[in-house]
Amino acid sequence: MADAAGRRTMRIMISTGHLGTAPSGGESFAAGMATNPDFLVADGGSSDPGPVYLGDNRVLGQFVEDELELFLTTSRARGIPLIIGSAGDAGSNHGVDETVRQLRAIAERHRIPKFRIGWFYSEVPTEDVAARLAQGERMPGLGGFPDLTVEEAGRATRIVAVAGVEPFIKLLDMGADVIVGGRCGDICFTAAPCIRAGFPPALAYHMGKMIECASLVAEPFMGKEAIIGTISDDEIVITPFHPGQRVTVASAAGHSMYERETPFFEHTLGGLLDMSDCAYSEVENRSTSITGARFIPDSQLRVKLEGARKIGERYMGIAAIRDPHVIRNLDAAIDWSRSASAKTFKDMPYELHYHVFGRDGVLKEMEPLRHLTPHEVCIVIEGLAQTETQAHKLVDFATRMFFLARIPNSKGSSGLAACSKQTMRSSPGFVWNVNHTMRIDDPLALFPTHIAEAGV
Amino acid sequence: MPKLHELAKTIRSKNAGVNQVTFDVIFPTREAYQRVVEGRALTRETMAALYSIAPERISDFVEFELANAIKFTIFRERPSGSPGDWDTLGCQFYGPLVDLDVP
Repeated sequence: MADAAGRRTMRIMISTGHLGTAPSGGESFAAGMATNPDFLVADGGSSDPGPVYLGDNRVLGQFVEDELELFLTTSRARGIPLIIGSAGDAGSNHGVDETVRQLRAIAERHRIPKFRIGWFYSEVPTEDVAARLAQGERMPGLGGFPDLTVEEAGRATRIVAVAGVEPFIKLLDMGADVIVGGRCGDICFTAAPCIRAGFPPALAYHMGKMIECASLVAEPFMGKEAIIGTISDDEIVITPFHPGQRVTVASAAGHSMYERETPFFEHTLGGLLDMSDCAYSEVENRSTSITGARFIPDSQLRVKLEGARKIGERYMGIAAIRDPHVIRNLDAAIDWSRSASAKTFKDMPYELHYHVFGRDGVLKEMEPLRHLTPHEVCIVIEGLAQTETQAHKLVDFATRMFFLARIPNSKGSSGLAACSKQTMRSSPGFVWNVNHTMRIDDPLALFPTHIAEAGV
Repeated sequence: MPKLHELAKTIRSKNAGVNQVTFDVIFPTREAYQRVVEGRALTRETMAALYSIAPERISDFVEFELANAIKFTIFRERPSGSPGDWDTLGCQFYGPLVDLDVP
């Protein structure tokens, strides 16, 4: 396509920064699609919701099927290619397979004419990573993690590598109309078609950054509304499709620093996006134009690895306290629960965590007001053990120990905590244990691609 | 003495990777931004003191004039979503900034 000045452009639409967490706004979605964008893209997930989604192949969103149905039916009706990155939240093989299966089922249900569906995987066998470490390879940690060890890699339940643009470009070259990506950089599913079409990589990656969370780039704050990014050889323009939103210099510049340590740099497989000399200006259609991004290619490719290790099965209990004397002696009550549990469960490994809402439940040691004495607190007792039965027993006991807390000079003698409902089963506990980079020579090597026919 | 929320347009925190949380304080005008920058209410030192963390736990601290924003990033106590972490997204870490006094 070309814009009014006759320059070639490519337009990419997105309506969700996290597939399936809530439905995309119907009106802005329809308004955006009516302008016939060149691609429709969606971010299927990220590492943000925590390690359990990768470790346990879980999906967070309850509206994944609804959004996939909207995206597939409307994009196929107009012949617009659809690209989904980091499928199934974590981009695990299961997440990719499940998303492909859902799309095929939707295509059959809606009698969508035959199209080509492509997908790629991102999992790396833990034993392959461990073997490379055993041969002496160094894998430095990101975000303060120490170098990866053979033992730690081996403890991961699952590891994914974070893909760049290359597997998307390969699948587009193979003729895919719909692409389901494994774990990939959030900026890559947008950048890939732009780079493939010959637009400057710096602008392509920057556009990926600006639209990855859809309407969060615009103001006022609204989630799940349609945004279209337009790339030319000189600039990117970000346009909102909800009539109440604008993309302003402040909202765009503000979004460029969202979810990153610094406002100026973003790493992706293959290089560094440098936004430190960008210029923003407001243009027509409530849009903002951005220029000036640079892309500095890496001399050696290093792929990011993400891995999750299982800690155990998890239960949660809730104890609420209103007695001011107990609240003044809260640490003694917690110590009582902790030490009684240590005695009772001395023969098994477990973890107990006490979240004291009303005092410092969110921030813990970082809470500036934790010295204040509230009039009421709610303690969530989080416990993990190797089996479900053990975890249940542990948390039930640790919670009951607030009811039975032994606090000197307490006037209450009928129970020192209000406990309601049963101890609850939660998701299994995982930790991020791999957050490292590994050297690769070929950006496609870890990401096998597949293509097949779907539809009727 | 005004509170930070009376001067800022946006006060937020969010994960930046799995082991860091980044804080963005964005002002509606250059004047409001300058006032807070010059008043030194938001600095590495004041934030380390407010959150009772060692200054080394603040990995980045940037005054970003183009966006009228102050941005800083801290290392978490433990990676996001680990047992014992309640704020998996880091989206409520900004709480104590809202009522911060700005000299």
